[in-house]
Amino acid sequence: MKISNIQKIKRMPSKFIFVFSLLVFLSPSISFADGGGNFKAKCSSCHQPHKNGTGPKLFQARQKWSTGGAKEGSIYQWVNNWQTAAANDPYAAGVSKWSATAMNAFPELSKVQIDEILDWVDAQPDPATAGPANGAPVVDVDPASSEEGGNTWLWIILSTMFIIIILSVGGVRRQLKISTGESTPNDNLTYTEEFKAWAWKYRLPVGLGTLVIFLSLIVTLFQGLGRINVVENYQPSQPIAFPHDKHAGVNGIDCKYCHNSVTKSKSAGIPTVNVCMNCHKQINGEGKPYAAEVKKIYSAAGYDPTGSGKYTGNTKPILWNKVHVLPDHVYFNHSQHVVVGGIDCKQCHGDMTKMSEAVKVQPVEELNKIEGNIKLSKPTLTMGWCIECHGAKEVSLGDGKNGYYDEIHRRLRDNDKSLYKKYLKDGKVTVSELGGWECAKCHY
Amino acid sequence: MRRPLVFVIHITAVTIILLGLGSCVSNPDSSGLEYMPDMYRTPSIEPYVDYGEIRGRENMKYKMALSALTPPSHTVPYYGGKKDSVDISFMLPYIRKANISFRETHGLYGFDFSLADEYALAAKDINPLVLTNKNSSEMLMKGKELYTAMCQHCHGEKGDGNGPMVLSGAYVGVPAYADRSSLSDGQIFYSIYYGKGMMGAHNSLVSKKEIWTLVHYVRQFQNPDYGKFDESGNPKTKAISDSSATKTK
Repeated sequence: MKISNIQKIKRMPSKFIFVFSLLVFLSPSISFADGGGNFKAKCSSCHQPHKNGTGPKLFQARQKWSTGGAKEGSIYQWVNNWQTAAANDPYAAGVSKWSATAMNAFPELSKVQIDEILDWVDAQPDPATAGPANGAPVVDVDPASSEEGGNTWLWIILSTMFIIIILSVGGVRRQLKISTGESTPNDNLTYTEEFKAWAWKYRLPVGLGTLVIFLSLIVTLFQGLGRINVVENYQPSQPIAFPHDKHAGVNGIDCKYCHNSVTKSKSAGIPTVNVCMNCHKQINGEGKPYAAEVKKIYSAAGYDPTGSGKYTGNTKPILWNKVHVLPDHVYFNHSQHVVVGGIDCKQCHGDMTKMSEAVKVQPVEELNKIEGNIKLSKPTLTMGWCIECHGAKEVSLGDGKNGYYDEIHRRLRDNDKSLYKKYLKDGKVTVSELGGWECAKCHY
Repeated sequence: MRRPLVFVIHITAVTIILLGLGSCVSNPDSSGLEYMPDMYRTPSIEPYVDYGEIRGRENMKYKMALSALTPPSHTVPYYGGKKDSVDISFMLPYIRKANISFRETHGLYGFDFSLADEYALAAKDINPLVLTNKNSSEMLMKGKELYTAMCQHCHGEKGDGNGPMVLSGAYVGVPAYADRSSLSDGQIFYSIYYGKGMMGAHNSLVSKKEIWTLVHYVRQFQNPDYGKFDESGNPKTKAISDSSATKTK
């Protein structure tokens, strides 16, 4: 009892402040308290206060109608049944041509209720003029990558200058020595000959040093050859600055919505522009930094966002640059991995809900940091990386999800008892033990 | 002495040149050196690959064009496998056509159109996937999977129209399923297939079978007992999908 009393007292001020602030800030809203609720339930799927959608924006609709020359009370008739209003009032008939989509009839709304709704709408601030309150920061390409190249050139120029200075100082020193008579002038003694004489004089350390340099260069050469075709961190430019973190992170869109062929096909699929338009028909980014990017979608989809919005049918492709390119002699199938194997996208693609820049091939170190990922050591998208994962990934058998591994497991058990026993020694069944290391699985 | 030194100098020079070449691929859109490009890129067409240049030959027809194309209209998907009349019905084209206005409102150019109010006609359509005591839980689980991937970000996990997109303030005006219980199965299918209002057409994302599965799933938001069966195997609710249940508003 005591505790609850204390709690009550503690809560009192906050409750009071809440009610008070509600009274102060939303005092006009009390008169149309129901307007917002009715708007959300009945109007909002087509209308917005400040943006045209399926229906026109409703901000100050009554003023617009009266200044446009509509008959008194015609707007209420329109909401109850637009067809009767259009028959009685030429202005309403004009409004009915705004879009090809006809408005639903709402005979249950009284004049007072409609006024409440429109009062509520008129009280809504315009988000476009209010500025980007929680607007996204502009997605920009990291400038560090372009500056790195400049640095290398600077180093090359500096070291060349350094070598020239050393050589000229050496030349001056030699001339000085000759002129002072410290060394005997020899007409044929060039730099090379002098170097040869010097190298012969100290042949043991010079020979050993050369061997070390030679071997390390060979090692570097083979390391360099080993990096050819390793595409970690490959991040090509893209025609639209698409932030994955806004889509998959903030707005919680499932990867499989846009990359919807991932469960059915070899390719995960880059969304066609009609998928973009499912949301961006409404989200036009007006007044936001990304408005220009959305315009690119509109021009690709052949969509004219003015007025009620109209598709013109004049479409053109968006030319995305492919990021994860596998050589043609490798067969990789997304649906096999996602549906049958049950692999999460982030095992290979990283945590895209936090990726604000263009897509890149995530280096294996980044992938290993992600919780739940199988930890691998070879570079991403190399054969070693695939093989390593196939050797580590355990297969869940008999979960009824699909019969693929169950069937392979059954055949192994029935046909090759000794091999089956050998595999069972470590107590787990991996992909490689069920044929995941067979060459022809990926190369044919 | 002279010969090994020359050899060493040659090897060093070659190494430096090779390493230099390897690091000089400065074009950020290039994925770097390849060992054997003709084994990496072949003329067989794969999605999302630029085929403007193959083995040194330039093909202007494919340059700056996508290699992932939509199938020609009236293409019929063939799923294979065991077929009964229900399976075949999923391969056949959808009997309802889009309204002619959908070309401009939903961008459905290249579709077959009708001047009739096909949305109202769709109210008669019956879900070919029949929920039984046996398949109910499996079907609804599949429906949940699809719903999570395809619908949940707008319509919300509970179907109340409060998905993460709406909660983040990015998108507004998603109705709750519970407010639309007068819709028939066929109309829900039509809305998913061709879109409705602000919602776009989803026929490129989900197959007909998947849409009908989703129709079963979203019915649960209107009636929590939907798809549940009592001990004797009778459905706890009468199917809402009576053709007489509704007409368009």
